[in-house]
Amino acid sequence: MSHLKTSLYEEHVSLGARMLPFAGFDMPIQYENLKKEVEAVRNNVGVFDVSHMGEFLITGSDALKAIDHLVTNDIKNSEMKKAIYSPLCRANGTVIDDLIVYKISDTKIFVCVNASNIEKDFSWFEKNLKNFDVKLENHSSDYSLLAVQGPKTFETLKKTSLLKNLDDIEYYSVQVLNDDKIMTLAARTGYTGEDGFEIFASHSDIKILWKELLELGVEPCGLGSRDVLRLEVCYPLYGHELNDELTPLDSGLKWTVKLKKENFIGKEVLSSYKPKFKLVKLVLEKGIPRQDYPIENSNGEVVGKITSGTMSVVLSKGVALGLIKEECKDDTFNIDIRGKKYEAIVTKKPFVSGGHK
Amino acid sequence: MNKIPESLFYTEDHEWISVENNVATIGITDFAQSSLGDIVFVELPDTGTNLDSGNSFGVVESIKSVSDLYTPLSGEVIEKNEEIEGTPEHINGDAYGSWLIKIKLSDESELSTLMKASEYKAFCEGN
Repeated sequence: MSHLKTSLYEEHVSLGARMLPFAGFDMPIQYENLKKEVEAVRNNVGVFDVSHMGEFLITGSDALKAIDHLVTNDIKNSEMKKAIYSPLCRANGTVIDDLIVYKISDTKIFVCVNASNIEKDFSWFEKNLKNFDVKLENHSSDYSLLAVQGPKTFETLKKTSLLKNLDDIEYYSVQVLNDDKIMTLAARTGYTGEDGFEIFASHSDIKILWKELLELGVEPCGLGSRDVLRLEVCYPLYGHELNDELTPLDSGLKWTVKLKKENFIGKEVLSSYKPKFKLVKLVLEKGIPRQDYPIENSNGEVVGKITSGTMSVVLSKGVALGLIKEECKDDTFNIDIRGKKYEAIVTKKPFVSGGHK
Repeated sequence: MNKIPESLFYTEDHEWISVENNVATIGITDFAQSSLGDIVFVELPDTGTNLDSGNSFGVVESIKSVSDLYTPLSGEVIEKNEEIEGTPEHINGDAYGSWLIKIKLSDESELSTLMKASEYKAFCEGN
């Protein structure tokens, strides 16, 4: 079966990246060394090709009303040019996807969704926006997307031809660089916990930007290091901490569900929902936790499972997110790794504190 | 180019084996360590464990992956490299100097299933 390719596929192959299918695309998982990639983003600057992700545009007089009807977070009362993270829920409260809404104007809303959920999300949008005066467009195949991440991102991007007019905008906000049909957007967002920008642009612009960034010494980074980086700062990933069976309240996302909002799909159920699970952050002195490993309490009862796990590059320890039964109050657990028990300690704060402002 | 010393035997699972007086020493090859990337964890069987050829005898883990280790030979584990469990990154630096376990062979005829260096080199190039 042949997979889709991003506009930078040939670049990845010529750099010797290990390519693997992800969400229907052949994506770079790792270039030369994963650790080096993580360290570049934490201390310097790295670039990820995340063009597989989906982009939708909602325009029209009802654009704001329409997006607020769909997502659980509050878009109307957010400032203009803000990026707002939100779950997208069904009427029963379960999560279809988690996404970022970019509030371009009262009549123009840009949405970035997970690659694996593009079709599912778009048909949900279509079905539920019928009664709104909006135009909905799926621009996923028109855009390439680069995530440039790390403390030196801003100064580096200023040196590129596409982004020489980039402003020092606030974290989680967006600048429209070009208001063409396919807008060029620079959003101060990312999935690493570090300062950084995500650049949405045409394939041809992104090809030039990629080349310039590499010439400036920016480290090309793959999806492997991206996953380690997001897990070190405890960002959830759809299909792991979130899925079709869980509500945002089961996955530690209460802060994104604005029950005071007038109305949105899922509000009724979520208003009285009693969470079944809670998300815990676990650190292991020994052993590396991986997805689906059982989490046991001190009596040896299985109370949950690991949803994402890795060796932290920064801490050199095993770290994980896991979902456990809501009523569980313990602060240490045992993780069953191939039949052996390894102690895991619950922490309140993310494993690594990113440097974003 | 990955190193493939002439003096050792190899498996399709990218392990190296040296044999002396009915005892086989097993490690993973340079090709294996370089495909895995940074090795951060090694789990080995206790001495006294009896293994049949084809059994999994432990794992090596990189930051993002877990790989099973399989023995091509049957016998009893008479020694494990406890030092390497504490410093798994040494495998990346010196795969052939980082042995994992020693097995007292119960069936020496199984040695004929192993590849010579030239055969393993061809196998790696074919992959």
